Amino acid sequence: MTPTRPRLLHVRIIVVLAMRNLRRQMRRTMLTAAVMVIGGALLVFSFAVSDGSHEDWIDSGIRTSTGHLTIEQPDFRLSRKIEDRLATDVRWETERALASPEIAQHVVAVSSRLSISALASSAAGARPAQVLAVDPVAEARFSTLDDQVVEGRYLEPDDRLAAYIGVGLAASLELRLGSRLVVQAQGTDQEIAAQLLRVVGIFRSGVPEVDQTVVHIPLQTAGEWLGSAHDVTNVGVVLRDSTAVAVVAAHLEHALVDPIERGDARVMGWREANPALAAAIAIDSFGNYLIFGILFIIIAFGIVNTVLMSVLHRHREFGVLQALGLTPGQTGTIVLVEGLTLTAVSGFIGVTLGLLATWYFIGDGLDMSALMGEDMTFSGVVIDPVMVPQFRLVRIVQILTFILFIGAVASIYPALRAAKIDVAESMKFER
Amino acid sequence: MRSPAPVRTFGGLKLSFAESPWLHIGWRNLGRNRKRTVLTALGLAVGFFAVVFIVGWSQGIMVEMVENATSLVNGQIEIHAADYRPERSLYDTIGGRAGTDVDALLRTIDADPSVVAAAPRVYAGGLISTGQATLAGMFMGIDPERELTLSRFLDPLVEGRMPEPGRNELLIGEEMARQLSARLDDELVVVASGADGSMANDLFTLVGVFRTGLAELDGSFAVMPLGDLQTLLVLAPSRIHEIAVATTDPWIAETTAAGLDDVLSSSDRAIEIVPWTTLNPAMVDYVALGEAMYFLIIIVVFSIAIFGVANTMVMATYERRREFAVMLALGATPRAVGTVVLHEAVALGVVSLVLGAVMTFPLMVWFHTAPPDMSWAIGDVTIMGALLSPSLRVEYDVPFWIVSAMALFVTTILASLLPAWRAARVPPADTLSGL
Repeated sequence: MTPTRPRLLHVRIIVVLAMRNLRRQMRRTMLTAAVMVIGGALLVFSFAVSDGSHEDWIDSGIRTSTGHLTIEQPDFRLSRKIEDRLATDVRWETERALASPEIAQHVVAVSSRLSISALASSAAGARPAQVLAVDPVAEARFSTLDDQVVEGRYLEPDDRLAAYIGVGLAASLELRLGSRLVVQAQGTDQEIAAQLLRVVGIFRSGVPEVDQTVVHIPLQTAGEWLGSAHDVTNVGVVLRDSTAVAVVAAHLEHALVDPIERGDARVMGWREANPALAAAIAIDSFGNYLIFGILFIIIAFGIVNTVLMSVLHRHREFGVLQALGLTPGQTGTIVLVEGLTLTAVSGFIGVTLGLLATWYFIGDGLDMSALMGEDMTFSGVVIDPVMVPQFRLVRIVQILTFILFIGAVASIYPALRAAKIDVAESMKFER
Repeated sequence: MRSPAPVRTFGGLKLSFAESPWLHIGWRNLGRNRKRTVLTALGLAVGFFAVVFIVGWSQGIMVEMVENATSLVNGQIEIHAADYRPERSLYDTIGGRAGTDVDALLRTIDADPSVVAAAPRVYAGGLISTGQATLAGMFMGIDPERELTLSRFLDPLVEGRMPEPGRNELLIGEEMARQLSARLDDELVVVASGADGSMANDLFTLVGVFRTGLAELDGSFAVMPLGDLQTLLVLAPSRIHEIAVATTDPWIAETTAAGLDDVLSSSDRAIEIVPWTTLNPAMVDYVALGEAMYFLIIIVVFSIAIFGVANTMVMATYERRREFAVMLALGATPRAVGTVVLHEAVALGVVSLVLGAVMTFPLMVWFHTAPPDMSWAIGDVTIMGALLSPSLRVEYDVPFWIVSAMALFVTTILASLLPAWRAARVPPADTLSGL
């Protein structure tokens, strides 16, 4: 006989006893399981929805700013001066690196742009503007602004002296399609240069700051106007998924090691480039964690209660078991297995239900527009009222671990109680 | 001979029952299994805490958001010429080209009892330059004394002092100061197109730097005394673009705006009086959405808690089958037995509420008066353009606390309905005979 057999036998006995106890108190088991099922389903579904909407916020936030990743001259982020731009050779080097196979597989769009603060004026007045000089084809793939056109069209490759402006700026300066406006800004020679432009399209993004200030013009026009030729202030990159940021950033830093060491370039992720968006997501997640933390504390109390009651009821039973030779540790293990099985099975059912709900909404999304309206913005991002949940394996693993953890913690005290039974005392009296 | 005594005794029993021993019995039952009671009550107490605290926190966010949207820079009400919005053109001053008697207008507005402060403003876009660096900016002409009573962004300043009228002094935002590398006492060239069509420029001395926390404002606003900006823009002193008005409470802005409309529209000026709720309807929606969510939170939290309570009550009543059988055998009606269980639930509710209150209110007071600052973990965010600092400040809302307490009792009572019904239907003879 191998020494493992008696131990295996013990395991079997413990499991059988635990299962039998759960089955004997079916109503109690079902009530406790029901809480866990509901809690687990809620947890899975609401995290899928919030992961999905966070991904959506990131996507729309980074497309209206500098992308998942941005390559810029290190001082530009703070100075915003045209002097701190990327030289043309660094720009080409960056674009070559982005086209290399190990990076290109993650990349959806790349846009090299020159971003400057300028004064836009017409006969009706003058407004500060954020001029973004772009390559029309690359930018159309990068940004969502080209789809948000309300009048006219987006910039085209042959455009010269064309401007694509927001509805807010159009209203302030009384501009219509074909109207002329003048933009003034400091050129590379430090002199103020003025440029005449013609409105070819008007957009509405829904973010008031963007609609009021952003002007897209062709990069070539900007190069002639400011004397910056092919130089840009940043190269923005949109990735397939925000989770690839770290990997691609590492590859890029490796490829651009020379300009980075010279202090001519820097690779920055969206969290650093757009801290307000990162904060918005952090706050929203914090709220979620808070609510579910509390919810599961309540659930844990329910489990402790159930398991503890079943232990107190079975005083005699545990006494008999120990009299028959089970060690206190094994008696406690029975209780632990009971609690863990209860949480594992109900948690698993709950997670499955939550996944079914997620799967149901994954196509069309959960339409909250009746509740929240269309114009909500959070840290400069328009919140889409249609929330599409996102499935993440990591999340499911996290949630299952969390549920089992709660089950284990809630069973520890009852298990200790069962282990500490006084054998003689518990069998002394007839009931 | 028939003695009336047993009847009286029975009557006495009935009488004492009528004085409602049920609550007493219910209460005693809770004490019989203290551990179970405390665990169940803790579950409910945490639920109460969760609801009150989460809603208090969310209201704290709402209050700060509305507060910052309406008193950081803007007022709760804006008064313009009727055609000023949305173009906000330089020429559309209150009262048209002729202008208006600004002092008389301000006096009329100040007379409204719900108005705390009113301040005139002039706006224009232009360029601002140190010679080395140039930025496009928005110029805001203010009455320094009145402005300080209305908005918060100029007090305190990051550095320097308020500009004095007639000396060509100005303030700029922190971000603009950094981008221009401008220091206090630097001379800045200010360029703008005047109302007469000329290109106006003048030298201003930088006397102070402000910070709102809103990037667009800190990077593009320059503030100077009203008269100096009017001189630069060739506007007569009677021509202003806006009067910003602060009211005692953001939520009375609409009423106050309507009241001001009655008083001011009698004159011949074509003016528009807009409360912030009209300027920022999305924020009003957001607050309404939040309020709808509060009740959702109550429902979710307590419907999870209800299972725990139901479980406990089912167990407690099952254990006491014999006790109920004895009561029924002694003549208590099934209804009375059910009532005992319901009273037990109510007593449990009381215990949970006391536990919950002890848990919740010290924390509420702490988080209300000295909210933990979370800025080490997360930066500022903006909601619909309003700045929000990442603190955990909570608001008090007594009516909501009462609603939550009632929800707690409803939870315990709902959870005890099934056990009460089962207790009432215990078969006395079978149970007592040990079946």
